[in-house]
Amino acid sequence: MSVASDSPVHSSSSSDDLAAFLDAELDSASDASSGPSEEEEEAEDDEESGLKRRKLEHLETVDEEEIEEASSSKGECQHPGSFGNMCFVCGQKLEETGVSFRYIHKEMRLNEDEISRLRDSDSRFLQRQRKLYLVLDLDHTLLNSTVLRDLKPEEEYLKSHTHSLQDVSRGSLFMLEFMQMMTKLRPFVHSFLKEASEMFVMYIYTMGDRAYARQMAKLLDPKGEYFGDRVISRDDGTVRHQKSLDVVLGQESAVLILDDTENAWPNHKDNLIVIERYHFFASSCRQFDHKYKSLSELKSDESEPDGALATVLKVLKQAHALFFENVDEDISNRDVRSMLKQVRKEVLKGCKVVFSRVFPTKAKPEDHPLWKMAEELGATCATEVDASVTHVVAMDVGTEKARWAVREKKYVVHRGWIDAANYLWKKQPEENFSLEQLKKQQTSMALDTYASSNPNEVHEDVLLKARDACYKARDAFYACLEKESGKKPTEIATVGLLYPKECSSSRTQFVNNCRSSWVKHFDREYCRNKRVQRLLDDGDERKGPMSLPQPYTFKPSPST
Amino acid sequence: MFFHIVLERNMQLHPRFFGRNLRENLVSKLMKDVEGTCSGRHGFVVAITGIESIGKGLIRDGTGFVTFPVKYQCVVFRPFKGEILEAVVTLVNKMGFFAEAGPVQIFVSKHLIPDDMEFQAGDMPNYTTSDGSVKIQKECEVRLKIIGTRVDATEIFCVGTIKDDFLGVINDPAAA
Repeated sequence: MSVASDSPVHSSSSSDDLAAFLDAELDSASDASSGPSEEEEEAEDDEESGLKRRKLEHLETVDEEEIEEASSSKGECQHPGSFGNMCFVCGQKLEETGVSFRYIHKEMRLNEDEISRLRDSDSRFLQRQRKLYLVLDLDHTLLNSTVLRDLKPEEEYLKSHTHSLQDVSRGSLFMLEFMQMMTKLRPFVHSFLKEASEMFVMYIYTMGDRAYARQMAKLLDPKGEYFGDRVISRDDGTVRHQKSLDVVLGQESAVLILDDTENAWPNHKDNLIVIERYHFFASSCRQFDHKYKSLSELKSDESEPDGALATVLKVLKQAHALFFENVDEDISNRDVRSMLKQVRKEVLKGCKVVFSRVFPTKAKPEDHPLWKMAEELGATCATEVDASVTHVVAMDVGTEKARWAVREKKYVVHRGWIDAANYLWKKQPEENFSLEQLKKQQTSMALDTYASSNPNEVHEDVLLKARDACYKARDAFYACLEKESGKKPTEIATVGLLYPKECSSSRTQFVNNCRSSWVKHFDREYCRNKRVQRLLDDGDERKGPMSLPQPYTFKPSPST
Repeated sequence: MFFHIVLERNMQLHPRFFGRNLRENLVSKLMKDVEGTCSGRHGFVVAITGIESIGKGLIRDGTGFVTFPVKYQCVVFRPFKGEILEAVVTLVNKMGFFAEAGPVQIFVSKHLIPDDMEFQAGDMPNYTTSDGSVKIQKECEVRLKIIGTRVDATEIFCVGTIKDDFLGVINDPAAA
C-alpha cells in the first residue's frame, strides 16, 4: 500500500482504469457465471499492491497496441478455422462454422477452403513420399470384439488363453476387463499394418465410440507410429450412422477404404474395398445371423499367409504400384479409384460368362448386381451361348444352357464363384464351385462366407421337408406344455415363456429343428394366445388383485 | 499472468467433521474443492496460500450441514490476449500445433508459424526450417504470444502465434 499512500491521485485513477479494464476483459472473455461475491473480489483486487497494478497497466497498453496493429496491417482475415470458437489466425470470436474435427481436438473446426487447402498441400507432399491414404474399419475388419457376458460356455477356455496387455505387439487375444470386453485381432494384422504403413497414411474410422476406438488403436498400434491422432470414431463423424470422408484430410482421389460394410459408405463406394467379415466370437456370428459355428467354438482361426487381410494387402500393393507407375509424368490428376477398378478388372479377365436362370426373367439382366459385379471383375457377360463363352453360371443342372455347357466341355459354376472372386480378388478354381459341389456344401462350413452377403442363396431349412419337421417338433412341444401344465414351470424359453422340466427334451427337438427366429415367433404367438384366452376367461378371481389409484396427498420434500 | 488475490467461498461441512479439528477439516476440504479448478472470472486456481477469515457457520435446515463463509488468499493463473507465454508442445499436425502452459491449451495454427518452417509428417511429426536448425515437435518448449482466449467454466482455450520476433522454440529436450 506504500505507492497508494505516496501518490493518492495517480493511484485512484489507475485503479479506476484497472477496474474498467478488468471488467471489459472479463466480460468479453467469459460467459461462465461468476461467483457470488464479485464486487468484493474486485475491491480486493484494487487493494492489492501497487506493483501488480503497474504490471497490469503495462499489459493493458500492450494489448491495445496489438489490436490496432493487427487490424491495420493484416486487413481482412479469412477465418480459415476456429479453435474454441476463436479464429486461429486473428483471435476473433466466431460463430460455429465449418466442419468439426473432433478427433484432433474437441474444439477444432475448419472451413471448407482450409480443408481443401490442407488436402492440396498434403497430397503434393505425399506424392513426393509415394504415399496414399488408407481408411481402416475396426470391427470385423481388423479385429473382432465381444462383451464378456456374451461369451458362450464353449468359449470360456479363451479366458485362460489371453495375452498380456503389457506387450501387445506379440499377442492377438486380449481381455480388457475394465471395458468388460474381449478382443481378438485378425490374423496377419500386424504384418498388414506394417507393410501398409509404408505405402499409406492410415486412418482408423469406426462406428464404435471414442474410448473404444482409442483402446483398439492402442492394441493395434502400441507405439502410435501407424495412426497417430488419426483415429475417427462415431462421435467425430458428421453424419449419423454413416461414414464419410469429409473429416479425412486427404484428396478423395487418393483415399482407399477398407471396410466390411458397404452400406456405411454411401458416397464413397468407388474408394471402398469390401473385406470378408471376421467373426471370431460366437456373439458376433449371432449378431449377423450366422448359423455356423464361430471360429472360437471351432478353436480355429483364419490362415495367416492367405487370409482375407493378406489378400487385401496384395490388392493394395497393386493399386499403389499402378498409381505411382511412371512417376516422371504429372500424377496430380491420377485417381486411385480408377486404379482400383483396373485391379479389379484383372480378376476375371478373359472370361466370358453366360447366366442361366440366375436373374428373374422380367428384369433386365444388365441391371442385376451379379451382372455388374462380373463386369467390374473384368468378365464379359452375355445373354446367349456361343463358342467364345467360357463359363456358364447356373443355379440348376437342368437348364438348357447348363446342359449345353456340359456338352461343349465348358465350365458350369454357381454364383458363389463370382462372389468368391469378388471377395478374394482372385479367380477361383472352378471345380470348387460346380453345381454338384453346391448341393454338397450347402450345409457345410465352406459356404457360410457367402451366406451372409447372399440373400439369394437357398436355405434348406425353410424348404418343405425341414418345415414339416419343424412344425412337428413345435406341436409336440406345445402339446407337452399343455399336458404338463400342472407341473411347476422352471425352465425359460424365449420371450419369457416358462415350461416344466418334463418338456425339456421336446423343447430341444423343437429348437434344433426350427430357425431361432421361428422359435421366437412361435413362442410369442403361443404366449399371446394364452394371454387372450386368459383375458376372455370369465373367472374374475383369476385376474389377480386390482390396485386402485390412491388419492394424492401433498407431502413436503424432506430436503428443504 | 499470475495474480495473488483473495476469494470467498461458502463451504458446506458435514456435521461429522465438527470437533477440535473443524478448522483443519475446513481448510483441507477447501483445498480439495478449489485447487486445480477453473473459474471463468479469475482463471485457474493454482494454490491456496492462506486463510484470511472464516465467518460464522450457519446451520442449514433439514440437513444439518453447516455453511461457513471462508475468505482465502490464492494464486490464480489467467492468460490474456497479447501475453507472452512459455508452453510445452503436446501435439503437432498439419494444421499447426497444440501446446500447454499448465492447464491452458493453446493452439498455434500453421498460418501463424513462420513461413520458412515446413511440416514434416512421420511417426514424430514436426515443423522444421529449411536448413533444419529449428524444429518444433512434441515435448519441446516454445515461447508464444496469445492472440485470443476463451475461458470456460472448467477449461481455458487460447490461440497463439509464434510469427513474431523472439518467439519460437526455446528448448528442445529431444535434441539435447
